Amino acid sequence: MEDKEGTTQQTGISRRQLVAGFGGIALGAAFAAPIVQMFILPDDVIAFAASEGYLLVDRKKCQGCNTCMMACSLAHHGVQSLSLARIQVTQDPFAAFPNDRQIDQCRQCPGAPCVSVCPTGANHIDAGNGNVRTIDRRKCIGCQACVAACPFNLSRAIWNGDEKHAQKCDLCADTPFWDKPVGEQACRAVCPTGAISFTEEIPIQTDAGYEVNLRGENWAALGFPID
Amino acid sequence: MNGYQGQILHLDLTRREYSAIDTEKYIDWGGGHGLGSAVFWDLCKDKDLANMRGIDPENVVTLMTSPLSGTLVPSASGRVEVQGIGYQQYPVNWFTRSNFGGRFGGQLKYAGWDGIVVEGKADTPTWVEITDGEVAFRDAGDLWGKDTQDTQKAIWDVQSEELLGLHGWTELGGRDTGRSSQRSAIVTIGPAGENLSAFGCLIHDAGNASGQCGFGAVFGSKNLKAISVLGTGSISIADPGALLQARLAAKELYAQQPDAPLSEAGVLGVGFGAPPKPSLFCPPPPGASGPQSCQGCINGCRARWESAIANESSCQETGCYVVFDVIAHGQPTDASIQATDLVQRYGVNSYETEGCLKYLLSLNMKGLLGAGKAINTSLNMDRLGEVDFIKDFLDMVAYRKDIGEDLAEGTVRASIKWGRYEEDSADGSLGFPYWGMVEHGYDSRAEIEWGYGSIVGDRDINEHCFNWLMWESFVSIGMTGAPSFSAEEFAKIATDKMAPYAGDMKMLDYGTPNLYSEHIAKLVAWHRHYSRFWKQSALYCDFRYPDFINFHRGDKIGLSGQMEHEFWNAVTGGDMTWEKGIEIGRRIWNLDNAIWTLQGRHRDMAKFAKYVYLHPAEEWHMGSFYPMPVQDEAGQWQYANVMGRNLDEAGVEEWKTLFYKLEGWDAQTGWPTRATLEALELPEVADKLESVQKLGAA
Repeated sequence: MEDKEGTTQQTGISRRQLVAGFGGIALGAAFAAPIVQMFILPDDVIAFAASEGYLLVDRKKCQGCNTCMMACSLAHHGVQSLSLARIQVTQDPFAAFPNDRQIDQCRQCPGAPCVSVCPTGANHIDAGNGNVRTIDRRKCIGCQACVAACPFNLSRAIWNGDEKHAQKCDLCADTPFWDKPVGEQACRAVCPTGAISFTEEIPIQTDAGYEVNLRGENWAALGFPID
Repeated sequence: MNGYQGQILHLDLTRREYSAIDTEKYIDWGGGHGLGSAVFWDLCKDKDLANMRGIDPENVVTLMTSPLSGTLVPSASGRVEVQGIGYQQYPVNWFTRSNFGGRFGGQLKYAGWDGIVVEGKADTPTWVEITDGEVAFRDAGDLWGKDTQDTQKAIWDVQSEELLGLHGWTELGGRDTGRSSQRSAIVTIGPAGENLSAFGCLIHDAGNASGQCGFGAVFGSKNLKAISVLGTGSISIADPGALLQARLAAKELYAQQPDAPLSEAGVLGVGFGAPPKPSLFCPPPPGASGPQSCQGCINGCRARWESAIANESSCQETGCYVVFDVIAHGQPTDASIQATDLVQRYGVNSYETEGCLKYLLSLNMKGLLGAGKAINTSLNMDRLGEVDFIKDFLDMVAYRKDIGEDLAEGTVRASIKWGRYEEDSADGSLGFPYWGMVEHGYDSRAEIEWGYGSIVGDRDINEHCFNWLMWESFVSIGMTGAPSFSAEEFAKIATDKMAPYAGDMKMLDYGTPNLYSEHIAKLVAWHRHYSRFWKQSALYCDFRYPDFINFHRGDKIGLSGQMEHEFWNAVTGGDMTWEKGIEIGRRIWNLDNAIWTLQGRHRDMAKFAKYVYLHPAEEWHMGSFYPMPVQDEAGQWQYANVMGRNLDEAGVEEWKTLFYKLEGWDAQTGWPTRATLEALELPEVADKLESVQKLGAA
């Protein structure tokens, strides 16, 4: 994982910084929820509970139709927008396959830097929804620290310029405009080619992305590679 | 407004100014073609339409989206309808249409616009840059001369320098304005359009083209090199939950499921139920590939390649050079896909290319064309089928070199100039049956609705509504010995959807005795009306709709007539029905005929090239078998081979009379009548036609 701070491998704020930042030991009940998620270890190390869900995308199977992006904005915001989508597909029409397409979905980072930097706890671990890293828009003050903290170049925490708050993939924990089946995600449900999958296990990942091959013999029958 | 953004961008290239047209004023026309025809009428009805050519500065070009553009309505999100006076058609540059897919329409909607109207002429090469609500007229001096690929790359390079990047996101302006991860969507011309070649087309990304009718030359005549758009906004949706559920239902019930084996019921894979397999007519480029589609497609028809050659190309443009490749090499080689890449880069109409090359070959074989021949050219016909040949040919037609100077006015006009037209259009060696446009591959003598629809309109129709069913039958009979669906199923399932004429199965009886009947008049009328609204205004893609027959359904009945209006209403909150859309299409079709009438249209002009009447059709590019449903005198349906016949000229004229009467037009002239126009709430159109003595008699 790219480490922009150049400090320790494990991201997270220290207990000392947390205490200093909140002006003392007398933490109010309002901050109890994020605190419960932190397991306080030695001074300079804090760990978050791992997410119980991750989206995987096989870019070689993606057809670049952006339906996942449109489904995301529709389910969460009731409008059609690529800018509000919490999964982003970018393409270069003239580039060589498979480098002509890139899918940037939130990796639900174990170290959750976007959660760590949030001053209000808006960006938090949601224990009621499989520890998904998600943003409570009511608490967001718009500092965009989470956007900056995301270790990936296209930040996965994104700024909603219409509603003036940050937002990120919540694995469809909260979809006000979609009466969804339990455990489903809008992007995965609509994807025409089945290029998006969901796993409960932390995936193997590299700087290039999660390693996932979702192509089988029926895909090969269409003339596409399955390696 | 839901679905719509409420404003259409009006560009005045002469003054380098822009303004907004209120979409609400045109909302009854639906979108796409309806908007374009209505806006064109308002802006041009008092111009000298009888003498206007596509390259005249008075021409107005429109690029229109629909309320479905940029939404996840399946295979209805990606297309943009282009209209204006074209530059390809003969003898008149008709008010005409083309369209292109990709992602331009969605970006335009996200930028806050329902469409673009282009008026005037810039004094120097210009590129229009749309960034949300801001529009800039930029100098295209450095872009002029570049091919379509290099132009887009150059614009992206400029924009990546100029637009602020924030953590990978492009930020347009300040903190609280929009952000995007996307590169701008660009529609551009190449050298063919710049040099006012009738072969010139519009290209967007790698493989989306507004190919026919010479809109590349129209852009070039306005010194308009390209339009780029980047949008960060949103489209309001009336019932988001219903829209998402409808998309999921359509996928579950009618689409090829991911990772499922292909349906054994159907063999070809067209229509809504097709798999995401690229539709190629030639050997693919070398190496691996992955699927690629227009925005929002239910399953795409293209790919991008490891070699990056001919990315996003499919169908016709991959087939435009195959015949010649095979002539030269005995089998198709990579010359075909190289030719595809070249026509995209040059921004050249691949249909006109193929038709023109066939004609040049016939002239060469007659000893009339070549070095030192009556039609003198340095084009080395011995190299036909090679990559260097197609490059030489494209150079000629794009840069007006050698015989390209004549061909750049269109192959038919070149034939006239060479003194060959009378003979070659009579013997069929000039395979251009109507309006100076090449035969599409579906001979009018066989597939009658294609031919009739073309001559009563403005161009080769390019609407595959019934044609897909022929293809499926052709391939299934060839591969398995039996058709995927019977002739009676073909006729019944499709005609059941053809409101208001549903119930008349003889609309799809392609037998020779039926060719000049009122049944066929109803077929053609329905086809015009349906296409004008559902395909060209709502912008449901021709490659996936109508979904008459679907092999994922036990009864083979597809989603058309059931879901298109459901999607429309979920987006707009309207009360659209299948039938209402078809009726709006009839209204649009009537307005188009009024425009053609102002251009000097008369029924006598609506005719086929002589060869259609004189000679039986012998072969199409798949051979001599062309199966269409036919009903015999005992009432039995079967597939018959409808190759081997010509059309009877007198019969065609009788059919035209039936058609015009059915449409409520003056059968003597083909002009709309006051009664018809007023019933369609177009009294001002009747007034205008009457003022120039072109109103049809009752």
